[in-house]
Amino acid sequence: MTYNGLKILASILLTVVLSAVLPSCKGRAMSGMLVITQVPVSSTDADFCTGESWRYLTGARLAAVDPDRPGKIRVLTGNFFSACSPDISYDGRFMLFSGRQSESDSWQIWEMDLRKMKTRKITSFTEDCTDPSYLPDGRMVFSKYTENDTVKISHSLFTCKLDGSALNQLTFSPVANFATTVLKDGRLLTVSRQLLPEHGNPVLMVLRPDGTKADLFYKGSDSIVFLKGGAETDDGRIFFIENTRESLSGGTIASVSYNQPLNSRADHTSSTEGAYLAVLPLHSNEMLVSYKKPGTDHYALYEFDNVRNTTGKIVLDDPDYNVFDIARVMKYERPRNLPSEVDMMVKTGLLFCQDINVRDIRMKGNPGKFGKVHMIEVLGTDTTYGKVTVEMDGSFQLKVIADTPFRIRTLDDSGNVESGPCAWLWLRPNERRGCVGCHEDPEIVPENRLAEAVKKPPVVIPTYFGEIKEKTVELE
Amino acid sequence: MKKYFLILTPIVIILVAGIIAYRPAHTWARAHVNYITAAEDHSLNCLSCHLYTQREGLIPKLIHAGYYSPFNMALSGDGKRLYILAEEGDALIIADTEIRKVKGKIPVGVRPHSIALSANGKKAYVSNQWSDNVYVIDLKAEKVTDTLKTGNGPAGIALSSDEHYLYVVNSYTSDISVIDLKSGREHKRLSAGNNPTGIGMAPDKSKLYVTSRRALLMPYGEPVVCELTVIDDQHKRVTDRMDVRSAYMMENVDFTPDGELAIMPLIRPKNLVPSIQVERGFMMTNGFGVIEQKPEGRIIQFLVDEPNSYYADPFDIAITPDGKRAFISQSGVDLISVIDLDSVRALIDESTTEMLEYYSNHLGISNRYVIKRIPTGANPKGLALSPDGKKLYVAEHLEDRIAVINTDSLEIMGTIDLKGPGRITMARQGRRLLNNAGHTFQNQYSCYTCHPDAHEDGLVYNMASKDMGRNLANTQSLRDIGDTPPFKWNGKNHTIYKQDGMRFSTVLTRTEPFNSRNLDALVAYIITDNPYPPNLLYNPAGELTDIQLRGKALFERTHDNLGNEIPEKNRCITCHPPPYFTHKQMEDVGTLIASDDSMLFDTPHLNHIYASPPYLHHGLALTLEEIWTIYAEDDIHGAVNDFTKIQLNELIEYLKSLSGPEYYIDKNRTLMARFIKRKK
Repeated sequence: MTYNGLKILASILLTVVLSAVLPSCKGRAMSGMLVITQVPVSSTDADFCTGESWRYLTGARLAAVDPDRPGKIRVLTGNFFSACSPDISYDGRFMLFSGRQSESDSWQIWEMDLRKMKTRKITSFTEDCTDPSYLPDGRMVFSKYTENDTVKISHSLFTCKLDGSALNQLTFSPVANFATTVLKDGRLLTVSRQLLPEHGNPVLMVLRPDGTKADLFYKGSDSIVFLKGGAETDDGRIFFIENTRESLSGGTIASVSYNQPLNSRADHTSSTEGAYLAVLPLHSNEMLVSYKKPGTDHYALYEFDNVRNTTGKIVLDDPDYNVFDIARVMKYERPRNLPSEVDMMVKTGLLFCQDINVRDIRMKGNPGKFGKVHMIEVLGTDTTYGKVTVEMDGSFQLKVIADTPFRIRTLDDSGNVESGPCAWLWLRPNERRGCVGCHEDPEIVPENRLAEAVKKPPVVIPTYFGEIKEKTVELE
Repeated sequence: MKKYFLILTPIVIILVAGIIAYRPAHTWARAHVNYITAAEDHSLNCLSCHLYTQREGLIPKLIHAGYYSPFNMALSGDGKRLYILAEEGDALIIADTEIRKVKGKIPVGVRPHSIALSANGKKAYVSNQWSDNVYVIDLKAEKVTDTLKTGNGPAGIALSSDEHYLYVVNSYTSDISVIDLKSGREHKRLSAGNNPTGIGMAPDKSKLYVTSRRALLMPYGEPVVCELTVIDDQHKRVTDRMDVRSAYMMENVDFTPDGELAIMPLIRPKNLVPSIQVERGFMMTNGFGVIEQKPEGRIIQFLVDEPNSYYADPFDIAITPDGKRAFISQSGVDLISVIDLDSVRALIDESTTEMLEYYSNHLGISNRYVIKRIPTGANPKGLALSPDGKKLYVAEHLEDRIAVINTDSLEIMGTIDLKGPGRITMARQGRRLLNNAGHTFQNQYSCYTCHPDAHEDGLVYNMASKDMGRNLANTQSLRDIGDTPPFKWNGKNHTIYKQDGMRFSTVLTRTEPFNSRNLDALVAYIITDNPYPPNLLYNPAGELTDIQLRGKALFERTHDNLGNEIPEKNRCITCHPPPYFTHKQMEDVGTLIASDDSMLFDTPHLNHIYASPPYLHHGLALTLEEIWTIYAEDDIHGAVNDFTKIQLNELIEYLKSLSGPEYYIDKNRTLMARFIKRKK
């Protein structure tokens, strides 16, 4: 090859290498940076302590902070009236957030390309949308204000593709669902609070990304409200911020074990004065928190040692702004991508209860069953869906119109209400769901026995339907 | 110039041809792979199907690697020598525990299972599960000095208290050989539970417990009960058969040194519950059984699982000399659970029997007694404690390594490398996957759980893939199924790729499906490295007995007892031709029951059919006889209703003689030859 030929070849190679390297350098510019939501201290609609209205903030903004040079911040959403709830993609290159560009806009979900710093709108509803989170299959989940005959009023969870298409509602009950994150096992963890017929206590619920198998994950004491949902660490703890409803002093950092969330709560700041508003686990013993020191009037960004449970040095302190959310731009391990049993061609789902008489022994003190229940009543939001006689062994099997909220209560022999109703349930199309008992200990597994109810066809709910003709779909 | 032209021309032609052919070839390959895998995103990798699943010829020889697969172990009395049985290496490996190095290897029979040492440490007894014998080994000379004939599938072994007798648990014939060591002959045979494997002597030497893996055969719907057989050592008699309810896969047993408790790992299956979800323990739970050693002692079961985390496939147990701790190898999740036995005792003392029954289904109670989970290498199986209880040796079965755990710090303090091949073949990776619960939601069970030893667990499941309670599924063996498509009783899966792909994830594991590489590996293992054991019970030498020959004639007959010609489709041989004894077609044999949808069934292969009770798709036929005496009234499942009772017995005897497919493919090779060949 001639000298000129070598030069040409070298130029081509250099061009190829540079074109490959330069964009990634640009992408790395944000790598390791923190993204925080800043809310003006003067904001009056941010009710931090009770968690009643803290989703829709006025004047909030997203800002990038270099943890090594925390003095400088870079506002990422300067052209937005308000923006919050950042969620970083698993490859660390994109960020979802909720925002409204002008005061007259509703809250919608946006995505920012962290290399090009360009934003694009994903959802375009008249209703407010908030709390987006990436799903492992390339879609996203978010909360959307919903008001209709089915759920009455709620903040339901939805999923959609990142172009806003393929919208799919996951939750179908008069319940507010917020602050959804994705657990490593692929399920969604969401703060959930019943709205009808009366307001319930917020709990952490878990469900599959197709809306199936919704179940209680963690429930605090009756007066607890969650200010922030769960953040899962590599060593299997879920951190969140909670507060007592009576207290106006701010939240505390608590965590539960993924393995046993109902009975493993640890309070990390019980001995600390001041209040907390957000938490971001970094490593096994290191976290970033939004913390308001006693005597100050705003939440600043601090380091936190969650082994010693001590607040460390300050990372960012802006007296004009509270730090409301914390995220870090980096690559994350993608959670499991769970398969779906939902088939939208099917109109119903199946609910199987092994023994309605199995109750939580903590309600009675021993594992003996309560009085035998012979009948249940299935209730909708406005009306009863019918009464169903349970089998002699306490089992029943219902075929319920899918995506419809219902509750179950137990009746005695005289038709009087014996217990319940339970929390709102719904079944996705083609979902098969099982319960061990009624208000049973959530840590109990079913006994290995053949229930009478599975030997017969299921009872159709609402019972006045009598029969629903549809093709049975095999899970294949 | 001409020279360059000569070189360039073919290159250009090849390039152009490649460019022209690329798109149609790619399209064809994509469609082909999509068809095979029933998925659209499986990687286009020709090697996965056309290389790693080859069983014959040069290529398999090149890519095959011979692993040791350490299984059960024993320690010398001074704790200086560790005797390790290499299940696949067919060897007794001797390791020096002080320098943690292998010092020697003694070839033993096929698939060694368990080892017992004499009290003076001079002799070892090794059960060879696929040879139906026990080797007696002089440990000083490191030589096999005698071979003791046993029943079929010898597994756990134990010496009598006076060491005059050897108890050998025959896992395939479900009995126990009591061998007189003086004469070297079987003194008597005791019946045991179903598929027994483990045996343990009480500290006072009065009795032995024999654990079973399979539940007693019962019609579907009856409670699952597994037998714990009690043997009186003095009289060599079975004195009790204890029902362990709602449990199976009781692989091993150990006693606390004070003889207060005996403990055995177990699984609590949920095969009678519709398989509609994994959440809340709807499929399997894992735990251990505690047998109180007192009059009217109870069998109490506890789980090692937690509400969102399961610890699949508990295998072995070792209890420290002070009786304070028990270690259980959780082979499906690659860790050791450490049990604080004082907490277990306290829980038992403070609880009523009713409460204890309640705890057997309680996931939240394990934090009372499980004090640590120690991660290990792949598939921990056998455990051995040093005499002082300071070190725990763990056979990392699919790692070719022994882990050494400090029982004070509960950390791994070192390993003993058995010097295996050092590389992981696709089939080996597949075997690891099959034995690991990491691909099931919350690690609740592995493929091994329902397919122990890649066979089947003898249970019928309510898979509820349609409505609940319909279409019961009798678990089928995975052995040598590569050439027997379609799969699944309804034959809906035409390849193992489809069987174990997305549908597997949706219906069974309920978590992310295997990625392409892992699915390739799993298929490679199932197809290439998963043979039947030799049929030493009914067809040991490859020659049929007279009664089996008469049965064979009935199997192949064309005319009934009255001389009438049997329609071709009603002859056994038509649907069940060798070598797999299946014509791989869908058939209706009149076995549908009320809970079945109307469907045809994939004709099952019959190799080793004697080892797969219960039978038929619904598992209602508990024996081969019942297939025809109860479930074939109308001659649809073969023309058999003219059979005399003797003829039916002859047919059954022939069916029991059916061995692995290779026997029928190459008649010059006997069944044993395959394993001897493999060994070499």
